[in-house]
Amino acid sequence: MTGTMTGTMTGTMTGTGTLIRLILRRDRVLLPVWIAITALLPASIASATTDLYAHQAARDSFAAASASNPAQLAMRGPIYDASVGGLTAWTLGSSLALFGGLISILLMIRHTRVEEETGRRELLASGVIGRHAPLAAALAVVLAANLLLGLLSVPGLVAGGLPAGSSLLFGLSTAAGGWAFAAVAAITGQLTASSGTARGIAIAAGGLLFALRSLADTGGIGWLAWLTPFGWVRLTRPYAGDQWWVLGLVAVFVTALAVAAFALSTRRDLAGGLIPARPGPAEGTLPGAFGLAARLHRGTLAGFTIGFGALGALLGVAARGLNTQLDTPQFRELAATLGGAEARLSDVFFTFVMYVLSQLVAGAALVSALRARGEEAAGRADLLLSTPVGRLRWALSHLVFAVMSPVLLLTALGAAAGLTFDGDVARVTGATLAYLPAVWTVVGIATLLFGLLPRLTAAVSWTALGLFLLVDLLAEFKLATGIVLDLSPFVHVPATLLGSASSPAAPLLGLTIVAVALTAAGLAFLRRRDLTPSA
Amino acid sequence: MNAAVHAGGLVKSFGRAKALDGLDLTVKTGEVHGFLGPNGAGKTTTIRILLGQLRADGGQVALLGGDPWRDATELHRRLAYVPGDVTLWPSLTGGEVIDLLGRARGGLDPRQRAELLERFELDPRKKCRTYSKGNRQKVALVAAFASDAELLILDEPTSGLDPLMEAVFNECVLREKRAGRTVLLSSHILSEVETLCDRVSIVRAGRTVESGTLADLRHLTRTSVTAELIGPAPGLAVLPGVHNLTVDGARLRCQVDSDALTPVLAELARAGVRALTTQPPTLEELFLRHYEGATR
Repeated sequence: MTGTMTGTMTGTMTGTGTLIRLILRRDRVLLPVWIAITALLPASIASATTDLYAHQAARDSFAAASASNPAQLAMRGPIYDASVGGLTAWTLGSSLALFGGLISILLMIRHTRVEEETGRRELLASGVIGRHAPLAAALAVVLAANLLLGLLSVPGLVAGGLPAGSSLLFGLSTAAGGWAFAAVAAITGQLTASSGTARGIAIAAGGLLFALRSLADTGGIGWLAWLTPFGWVRLTRPYAGDQWWVLGLVAVFVTALAVAAFALSTRRDLAGGLIPARPGPAEGTLPGAFGLAARLHRGTLAGFTIGFGALGALLGVAARGLNTQLDTPQFRELAATLGGAEARLSDVFFTFVMYVLSQLVAGAALVSALRARGEEAAGRADLLLSTPVGRLRWALSHLVFAVMSPVLLLTALGAAAGLTFDGDVARVTGATLAYLPAVWTVVGIATLLFGLLPRLTAAVSWTALGLFLLVDLLAEFKLATGIVLDLSPFVHVPATLLGSASSPAAPLLGLTIVAVALTAAGLAFLRRRDLTPSA
Repeated sequence: MNAAVHAGGLVKSFGRAKALDGLDLTVKTGEVHGFLGPNGAGKTTTIRILLGQLRADGGQVALLGGDPWRDATELHRRLAYVPGDVTLWPSLTGGEVIDLLGRARGGLDPRQRAELLERFELDPRKKCRTYSKGNRQKVALVAAFASDAELLILDEPTSGLDPLMEAVFNECVLREKRAGRTVLLSSHILSEVETLCDRVSIVRAGRTVESGTLADLRHLTRTSVTAELIGPAPGLAVLPGVHNLTVDGARLRCQVDSDALTPVLAELARAGVRALTTQPPTLEELFLRHYEGATR
């Protein structure tokens, strides 16, 4: 799409090549790791599916069970074909779009708005760099990386005995998920002067588009799925009829958004946003470190709380009809194996969905937990810590919000779901809050890293959360068992709605102790180390 | 205790890079002390040790009579700091940051705050995101000058200010000095140090190479002498302490070591002087001499 613009924008594109090399240099570790992990996943899931469900009959019964499981419908959508390929595409389609979409958003904002906000772009823009070059370079790299990981996944699938054509379509569908959100972030990066807001709007848009697809598949409103990239990446139907033309929708979507982003970028000043900055108060009332932290965290927390509340309300509505609507023998059997004969279908649904959503809550908590390191890296901590504010008090002022964040979000999620489901707020909220210690453990890991490895805190924390997600996915296919599986804190959370654990308090207490120990160790290391700005 | 800062033999390494290699620094209470050195000499590292942000690998350091690492919080009640590269919270206004820092330091004088805002021509209602480097620096300066700290640590505080604002800054520092406060001023801008500082320490490659009053340091360097003579002065060329002698008809130029000035003037008087100019060494020359040391 940058190609079609070259005619009219040659001058404004000058320097794109230089900027592409700069991005590749800065992300020389991240890009290959991301591409390699995503490209390897499809072949390993395909081979695990082959091992687990060797016969068509086994695959059919698995597919039938999954098709009647609303949680699976909400997360992954319908199964189009119960072949090895069809099941692989179903298992990974939505997850890869989520993962690729998130990374694409983060990368796009990192190389567009963050560069402007920090003033680094100014330095480059004064050189021979066209007005559109930064956006073009970021888009080129992110789109190419998505395409590459999609294409690289094909040989593994083909080697596993899957048809080449469908495998290529599956690979391209994976790329399409990343493409769509790269384009979304290209737009949001133009809107506001703050990179945090730009990132937040893009992620919120992603959440909404995912919820739209969920609603389409659980509520039986099929046409809704055609309105969202999360629908398109499944509607290409690889290994199940191969609808290649759906990729055309993605291409149109990406082209339209990219053209709009380029148009927006000509309407604003460097480092400015389209939403103008208003003057604020001439005098401040921030009472100190805690007041400042509250100010810095409140926007993010409010946004996430509203988002998870809305998500919960949506889930409650979706779960309403389940107990009658999905009262099939298959699903009752599934419910019985998971939660005993008495288990309600809606409870099985909530249990599944909360497990996945708790990891999203952990991601949100991580954003808050990493804020202190962000302040230090930017050099803002230097100024505050030159006042009588001590290091521990400063760290605690941010930690309070990282600890409070999951309390708020899990409560919002559970309360909203309970309210719209049957009005029994306490029951569902109890189930979501059971994830609190697991999320705190993730916060504890981030705090430990903050004390020990300041420069790597963000990267390693996100990697750890990503690995927990990966472990869960692999566990589903029995690729991760025993001690590896036990490494994920989320695995240890009892399903209180299903009453599966005889003593739910023990694992929760254990996780809380781990979280507290990690956090305390992190703070102790922080007091002993040098302050390390990123420059 | 009459030293606000006393550091001896400071050593600090970052990985294999040695930032400080036995640095000494003494700042007496009530003086304005210039901390001079080229980029990368170790000025900021020293200041960050003084602020308890870094822990020295070796040497001793005392700040206001305490240990800057162990007693950081207590000591910070008594000082104000302006970093060389001021980064502020993009979503806060300048006024909010000034008040935040002021409150954290135990309050600031609202009259002074208003006066400083006016003198520095800073709009406190703007979001920090929109401030230029110079304006961000002004925010930190206003917060520091409006506090009643007894020690000001200023790390290249004028690097983003225009000449007019530099003049305002100079007045503010002199006022602090008159109020009996101690100022540690790191800089590579020599004129600034020359007008403001009682004593200077010159650092290079993590070591203090010279320290003392400007007068002390001047003896280390040469006075430029330009003269128009009536008769020849042949003895000049062989006098010790005379350098770069050029004679152009009756005009003569040379550089003279401070302790050779008397015999040089005697020799000139013997020849007869029609006009004479002598210039004290500028700090530039002082500086150049130390920088050249690196390449020599």
